[in-house]
Amino acid sequence: MIGKPQILHKQEWLAFLFHRHDAHLASFHTFSNYRSIWIISIIILAVTSLSPLVMATLINQRLIRQSVDAELVLQTERVTSNAKRSVRFFLEERLNALRFIVNELPYYALIDNEHLAEILSNLKLGFGGFTDLSIIDADGSQVAYAGPFNLEGKNYKTQPWFTKSLQRDNFISEVFTGYRDVPHIIIAVRSMNALGRLFILRATLDTQRLMDTLLSYKTNVHTDIFLMNHTGLLQTPSKNYGKIFTPTRLDVPEFSTTTNVIMPENKSDHAFITGYSYIITEAVTTPFILLVNKEKSVVMGTWLNLGKTFNWIIGISCLVMMIIITLVSTFMVNKLYLADKTKAETMLRMEQSQQLACIGQLSAGIAHEINNPLALINETAGYLKDLYHFTEEEQNDEEVMENLDAILEAVSRCGTITSQLLGFVRQFDVQISRVDVEKLITGILRFHKKETEYKGIHVTTAISPDTPAIETDRGKLQQILLNLINNAFQAIEANGCLDITVSHLRPDNITIEIKDTGCGIPAENLKRIHEPFFSTKKEKMGTGLGLSITYGLVKKLQGNIRVESSEGVGTIFFVTLPVKMQKEESA
Amino acid sequence: MKQIDILIIDDEIKFADMLSRRLSLRAITCRACYDGQSGIQWVKKNPGAAALILLDLKLPDMYGTQVLAHIKQIDPGIPVFIITGHGTREDEKECLALGAVEFIHKPVSIEKITTLLNHARGEVQ
Repeated sequence: MIGKPQILHKQEWLAFLFHRHDAHLASFHTFSNYRSIWIISIIILAVTSLSPLVMATLINQRLIRQSVDAELVLQTERVTSNAKRSVRFFLEERLNALRFIVNELPYYALIDNEHLAEILSNLKLGFGGFTDLSIIDADGSQVAYAGPFNLEGKNYKTQPWFTKSLQRDNFISEVFTGYRDVPHIIIAVRSMNALGRLFILRATLDTQRLMDTLLSYKTNVHTDIFLMNHTGLLQTPSKNYGKIFTPTRLDVPEFSTTTNVIMPENKSDHAFITGYSYIITEAVTTPFILLVNKEKSVVMGTWLNLGKTFNWIIGISCLVMMIIITLVSTFMVNKLYLADKTKAETMLRMEQSQQLACIGQLSAGIAHEINNPLALINETAGYLKDLYHFTEEEQNDEEVMENLDAILEAVSRCGTITSQLLGFVRQFDVQISRVDVEKLITGILRFHKKETEYKGIHVTTAISPDTPAIETDRGKLQQILLNLINNAFQAIEANGCLDITVSHLRPDNITIEIKDTGCGIPAENLKRIHEPFFSTKKEKMGTGLGLSITYGLVKKLQGNIRVESSEGVGTIFFVTLPVKMQKEESA
Repeated sequence: MKQIDILIIDDEIKFADMLSRRLSLRAITCRACYDGQSGIQWVKKNPGAAALILLDLKLPDMYGTQVLAHIKQIDPGIPVFIITGHGTREDEKECLALGAVEFIHKPVSIEKITTLLNHARGEVQ
């Protein structure tokens, strides 16, 4: 109980982290491990406050990604579909033009080179993209030709496109170079002349026109739009796969009459999203597959950046929240610890004062019972001594006299003990009057004057001039000061110092400091000095009741006592007393 | 009426006897009563005969405070000292209120008693 108020003043931040329960306080603490409470509270707070945030963020990101993906699919599908329609229209238009020619004009008109040239120029004017026109009969020999190349008389019998075009009404070839070493597409329509012989009107389309059509759908540099054939060979140049005729090594997508979009399997943002469509005209299935590749990262760039910013914000908020949670937990647990500690100390003090009260009652009982036999011993021994003394017999028997004196002295010591024990009971009774502390101290010191001079003790008193006369129990205060000053005198060696200071720092109480330069109290004894019968004084010197009575008295006067001591240096007792003592109900 | 110095009222016979003997050795005349009634009776019969009274609180027939009250009724001027092994603060208060001079705890030294007597005599004189 000693020194406790000191600890309470020091409300250390993080005190709980470094706490070690004092053994005598341990049983009064509500919790034993504050560190784990601290950690658990941080974890619980962090989980409850951060998990919704993290969950929301994850869900949000997922939703954003999904909607971006969906948007991307839609976009790609639209571009693919539009481009497909254009390409189909491009081819269909030209095929229909040829069909119109063979149906409209008689065979003889067609095989007239000049007429054919006129038709070609009209086609170039009307549609564009035509390079040349030729009429090929069923043998594969070219009957008429109009165009920039000198291909007259060529026989195409062995050419695969010829065989194929002879088998059906309409034909569209892949892009190929053929005899002329220029990439071109052949479109051909089959018809029958007046003689019932099959012939083919073939037109060559330059690919540039087709490429231009495709490129018009290229919305940005990150979109790759190209045609490939059914074996994966490029039919127009591709940004990603290279020049025309380069094999793409792409898996040729499954045949479908509609436009489809393939999402990349891997989630990496550098993957391509691919839209594809087989180009199918009403009349013929072309060998072309239209592909539109979009790099996800580029398209999603804005979204991804937003996501990153969002992640940063969430990360920083989580960090801030963690710091706040940690600080709050630390603060709360520390408060809890300090409160618990105060509670434990209060309970300990209560227990101790209860113990004291019990001891007081018990000792008073014992004292009463012992006093009578003690009185008898006293009188009997006294009588024996008297006998020797008054009858002048064996007066010189020193041994007998010494022993009788020893008995009487022992009785007197016992008497001191019993009267102090009775003091325990007495201290529950208080009479309040106005007391001038200075006068009281001066009086007590006067009492010790001889001892002071004899031992050469230097006594100083410093009483703050504003110290008021206090309302308290004079007798008890006198006994408190007497006990403490007596103790000090016993501790002080020759030429030591005793300083008594009275200060009035707070309006409602005064503090009396009794400081000696004596032997000091070892730390392990500090806790015990107020225990009844605890004494370190050598034989006969003390009963071990002084300080415990003093403690009880100070408490009775509604004050506090606290001690600071270091061995070999000295001891300071601080007695704080209220200026105006409250009357107790029970008194 | 025989003048004596001290009337001892105490049920501890041995104590009372021993004290009487010791006081006799010091030429102090004593009379011991072992219960309250006999003490009161003695005072009644011999008013003003004792210079002072030493009264115990715990007596077999009645409590010391009652005895004190009776004695004070009979002879208010006689100095009564309470000498007891028991006695609470309340007893002390009551006794002092009833007119006891001092409340003394046992054991008490012979010197203290002689001093008391000297004071009493001095006052009487």
